[in-house]
Amino acid sequence: MSARFPIKDQIAFASAATTEFAKSGNERTQMSMTADACVAAIRAAGLKASDIDGIAGSDTSPWARAVQAALGIPRITWWQNPSLTGTYATTIFEAMQAIYSGACDTVLCYHTAYRLPWQSRAAAADPMRRRVAQLSDMMGAVDPETMAGSVGYTAWASRYLHEYGRRREDLGMVAMNSRGNALRNEHAVMRTPMTMDDYLAGRMIRTPLCVYDMDVAVDGADAFILTTAERARDLPQRPVLINATASGMVDRNDEDQLPGLHDHGQQIVVEEMKRRGDLWIDDVDLYYPYDGFSFLTLSWIENAGLCKPGEGGDFLREHWNAAEQRVMYRGRVPFNTHGGSLSEGATQGSGHIREAVMQLQGRAGSHQVRDARTALLTIGGFFFNAQALSLRTE
Amino acid sequence: MTMNDEMLLERFPGVGINHDNKAFYYGLLDRKLLIDRCGDCDHWFHPPRPICPRCWSRNIQPTEVSGRGQIHLLILLHQGPPAPGVSYEQPHPVATIELEEQPGLRFTSTIVGTPVEQLKIGQAVELSWIERGDKPVPVFQLTGAAS
Repeated sequence: MSARFPIKDQIAFASAATTEFAKSGNERTQMSMTADACVAAIRAAGLKASDIDGIAGSDTSPWARAVQAALGIPRITWWQNPSLTGTYATTIFEAMQAIYSGACDTVLCYHTAYRLPWQSRAAAADPMRRRVAQLSDMMGAVDPETMAGSVGYTAWASRYLHEYGRRREDLGMVAMNSRGNALRNEHAVMRTPMTMDDYLAGRMIRTPLCVYDMDVAVDGADAFILTTAERARDLPQRPVLINATASGMVDRNDEDQLPGLHDHGQQIVVEEMKRRGDLWIDDVDLYYPYDGFSFLTLSWIENAGLCKPGEGGDFLREHWNAAEQRVMYRGRVPFNTHGGSLSEGATQGSGHIREAVMQLQGRAGSHQVRDARTALLTIGGFFFNAQALSLRTE
Repeated sequence: MTMNDEMLLERFPGVGINHDNKAFYYGLLDRKLLIDRCGDCDHWFHPPRPICPRCWSRNIQPTEVSGRGQIHLLILLHQGPPAPGVSYEQPHPVATIELEEQPGLRFTSTIVGTPVEQLKIGQAVELSWIERGDKPVPVFQLTGAAS
């Protein structure tokens, strides 16, 4: 049964841009990086400030009103800073709805990643970051005894290894794939080749996850221009149509109360994407299974039906291309072409989306996949941020 | 001395206590692990909520549990938030316990009394209490382990 999904193919990315990312030694502010990415995205789309009538950031990025003022965008009719308790896909979905409903025509979307002092020694050494951290909610006092937030993914990775009798090497395959792709992307922050032995020697952070199972905190910004597919066809870059989107969540979504490994938001997303859209994994040239934690990639590929539960590691080995040091599904489709959150840098999903748009517009430079026309992205985790989108060009 | 809400907040600085979950924290100070149970349909649920997620009754009864269960989720922290008595020189176990009262009813704490390398998902545990700072903290130990 096909689902009611009237927005299918109606909204398009006209461009995407990035500042590139850094994991140390950066004195640029969030606004400085955001402004650069936004200007680059507007210019790449062949637009000027007065063509923008909507602005959507994220709740860890500068507020829409500040970006409007900084860029001198004279007049907007819609703005939002959606919460990252979803992933950055939430911002894209909100902007799509705003355009489709008529609240605005052309939206500037942006996301800024910024290392806070508790995330790295280098960040802690920058006195200006201590002040930023005091102004954010991200340093709440907690006891060690919690599975809330990102700790929950470690807990369910542990449960996964237990239930299926698997080993950490399965997670290592995900880390190695991200690294293998990052080697091709000169903008990725982690570009040292990584073997399985290197992975297994990684410093343990929360058993069973080590430093290479967790994404790398970075500074940088991504930006996008979204508009109607009709308008995008008149702009200089190839329009990237959004074919389908989905989000999913179940009632028992507290991290420690989740029903099970195969009963959470990802199953809803997979089901809805198949009902709403025209593209699934065997129809696409590029696949982006989110890797904010290595385990999430295994979870997505199993829940997407690429292999049986518990066999994600075997699947990655089966499709591993040793010469390229990365997965090539059915010999053809790479996963996380930019190096993902694990090796390009942690951008809460904006990096995966930006990379897919750049690839489909033929603007991915050093690591362009030839003739890429379609992409599937399954973004986020599974407690309260499972999301997906599929993209195609005409 | 009888506790009141003002004193409760002072005992738990920085904790998000409200009228829906305060019974849980009063329980901790009495060394009782109180889990919300619906007074109409008997459904247990955690964390505390103002309404039963199954039947929507507002007749919520924070009820002491047996403290028996099994390890459902288990991780070892090699670093983490500061807490009295937790150094991370030895990995600190954090475990989610599936309580015997109802399938899927879980409570997250730590395990004491057993070397971390001997802990495994599926082991039977029972409730115990430690003091951290000036407050009782509900923890678990392997069933039959000496207390």
